[in-house]
Amino acid sequence: MKPNRRKMKLSQYAVTILLILTLNFFLPRLMPGDPFTVLSADEGEVHTTYSEEDIQRYRAYYGLDRPLVHQYASYMIGILQGDLGYSIQFKQDVGTVIFNRLPWTLFLVGISVGLSALIGVFFGVISGYKKNTGIDQFLYSFFITLSEIPGFMIGLLLLFFFGAYLNLFPLSGGMTHFRDYASRGEQILDILHHSLLPITALTITGMGGFYLIARNTMVSIIDKPYMMMAKAKGLSRTRILFYHGLKNAFLPIVTRIFLSFGQAMGGALLVENVFNYPGIGRLMREAVTLRDYPLIQGVFIFMTLFVLSMNYLSDVIYKRLDPRVI
Amino acid sequence: MAKGYNKLLRLTVLLVATLLLLSACGGEETVEKARESQEGREYTYPVVRLEGGDYGLPTPFLHYGRGPGGYKMALIFDSLLEYGEEGLIPWLAKDYQLSEDERSYRFTLREGDTWHDGKPVTAEDVKFSFEYFQEHPPVWNGVLLEGKPIVDSIEILEDDTLVFKLHEPTATSLEQIGRVRIIPKHIWEKVENPETYDEEEALIGSGPFQLTEYSSEHGTYEFTAFENYGGPKPGVEKIQFVPVSDSIMAFENRQVDMISINEDLLERYQENSEVEILEDPGFWGYRLVFNLEDQEVLQNKDVRRAIAYGIDADNLIDKVARGAATPGSPGYLPTDHIWYNERVGFYDYDSEKAKELLEGEEYSFTLLTGNDNREVRIGELLKLSLAEVGIDIEVESIDGKARDSALQEGNYEILLTGHGGWGSDGDSLRSRYRISGFHNEKIEDLGRAQLVEMDPEKRKEKIFALQEEIAKEVPMLPLFNTKGYRVYYRDGYDNWVYMFDHHNPIHSKLSFLEEIR
Repeated sequence: MKPNRRKMKLSQYAVTILLILTLNFFLPRLMPGDPFTVLSADEGEVHTTYSEEDIQRYRAYYGLDRPLVHQYASYMIGILQGDLGYSIQFKQDVGTVIFNRLPWTLFLVGISVGLSALIGVFFGVISGYKKNTGIDQFLYSFFITLSEIPGFMIGLLLLFFFGAYLNLFPLSGGMTHFRDYASRGEQILDILHHSLLPITALTITGMGGFYLIARNTMVSIIDKPYMMMAKAKGLSRTRILFYHGLKNAFLPIVTRIFLSFGQAMGGALLVENVFNYPGIGRLMREAVTLRDYPLIQGVFIFMTLFVLSMNYLSDVIYKRLDPRVI
Repeated sequence: MAKGYNKLLRLTVLLVATLLLLSACGGEETVEKARESQEGREYTYPVVRLEGGDYGLPTPFLHYGRGPGGYKMALIFDSLLEYGEEGLIPWLAKDYQLSEDERSYRFTLREGDTWHDGKPVTAEDVKFSFEYFQEHPPVWNGVLLEGKPIVDSIEILEDDTLVFKLHEPTATSLEQIGRVRIIPKHIWEKVENPETYDEEEALIGSGPFQLTEYSSEHGTYEFTAFENYGGPKPGVEKIQFVPVSDSIMAFENRQVDMISINEDLLERYQENSEVEILEDPGFWGYRLVFNLEDQEVLQNKDVRRAIAYGIDADNLIDKVARGAATPGSPGYLPTDHIWYNERVGFYDYDSEKAKELLEGEEYSFTLLTGNDNREVRIGELLKLSLAEVGIDIEVESIDGKARDSALQEGNYEILLTGHGGWGSDGDSLRSRYRISGFHNEKIEDLGRAQLVEMDPEKRKEKIFALQEEIAKEVPMLPLFNTKGYRVYYRDGYDNWVYMFDHHNPIHSKLSFLEEIR
């Protein structure tokens, strides 16, 4: 990439980030309601109603009584210093709150994106090769149907069947609590055991996209001369498909993987709520319902940076893989 | 291709094997197992498991205002008095006395109480706690009345006796003083910013349980009985709050010991002989709030009464709560309240009477509700029911926080809200009915009179009269109070105790202590 083009690209990213940071500050504050006025509750739930004096005191404590412009300035200065503020609900640094939950979500999202890419591509390649046969038609409708079912619905079905009915998997959470593990290995197995159903749910929702990309690419190249050549050389079908064929489908798949991270994050939001899994998804929901401004800002800044850096990475890698792109 | 399929087959076999291996390991211990392993301990029951959720670090300053975090904090921190089944009971204070001039209370402390770090609980600690909270208000901030401190000064008479001098004699002071958490002076006197103080010492109380594990991200808590507790002996060694995705599934798999169920599941458990069912008192309820300041029409008492007659509460209870509720009393205090006045009666559904009161006029209002399923259904049923008497209702549903803010700012015509706390002291009538745009001298006088009446019997009469006056005016309209149900296993932990003013036995400290009813 030429230096001035790179500069332009980076400045585009910088403007996007600035815009999002600003929206991120004003949008939550424009929503009706504030963090301290609690007058009603969900049925059967309890809450503490703060007196007017308490509310004034809390507002001053969290700096919400200052003019909006001042608040905005200290928010921006805080971000530049890496300080995301103090969560009103969790009474902890926003950075700490996010950081404690982040590994759980990244673990779910990372593994499920990887798995859905593997499974989707594998069947996509087979489907493309067997274009218009019974197998292709079956796989096509199967993957399209699956990808249309929302993740939380799949999660619920898995939870009912494998968790409650067959009793094979835990019903909720990220690990077994109040238990002494004999070894590190046992703990890892326990965490995997808990994550399997949510990962499966996320994987199932993500597979369809990869399947389609792999299938379409395969369909478009299957009659190309180099494929004929490979066949003529007497190479095995597996090698033809997964080496010569897949190599050409590689670019769109890599791009798709990076873009999927953002999507899978959205999916994780719902799936984590189904399994009561301790990740960012649940945190985001709570932050918004409770109008915890610093936390809403923190979670959304994180999501923004995550999605933007995935986009940037996919740009960079695309260019590395395909020299034709400048 | 055959090779590829072989590989696929092998891969599938491997995956299935891993799945089976994973499903074989891990998993929750059952209650039975836990019980066996703990046999021979002195506690009557080893572990009670309940539905978790993050409600903050249980110090008086760091638990969340939303949800039951305060009740978790109260397991660690004792107060001078406690909420029993029928009223306040002596706790850290073994007795208390009102002075003859009714301007001070004298408390004598229970002997033998120590902090979790072994130091004795003293009158100094009690005095310090009140003074510290005045400077640094805790989340449960109860020592103020209308923004002013209720306690004028605290004097230590002997090692175990204190006298609280009141600013003015008010009937609620005893309960307000009684519920303040007592914190150790030797720890907190050095703490300048309690809102960020989350060290281990912050969790040293003198209550029956100590926090042995907490995770904010998982929403788990483990409380362990404090061996040297000065009060009634804990009846359970550990209370564990664990994450639950679906409470029914968790209960049926015996991962939690008690859950609340809705009315639809009642029959299922009534037929189950292993399970015991509890019915919560109706201290959680829905009410309609009229904007009397903004809506001139609603200032007319007859219009409000017409609305009350035009609402079929039984139908609401049948359709929305499936029968598990009691009609709201127009005098506010619910039928299960210890000071409920039966003479108040109800506005039974009577469309003719409603029309008569409206004198043939037709009105239309917007009803603001939360976006929760039940509230929307209540809204729709009210619309149908009131349409018959000539009141057109347009239902508008918004999220809970937005509704609260509309209520606060007076930005509504009629509003539906739901909350707990209906069982609390009758003084709630005074503050609840201080509604802008509404003025009734009799109600104001009675409200003030009951507050300064120190004789409980005379005060009760005033609160009874107050309910009658309020019911005649209907400045707001309680719709119904829900009666929740709870289930637990007969062979599991069964010492569930309700506080006299509260709908949830899990929130009661007494539920986890040996027989002290």
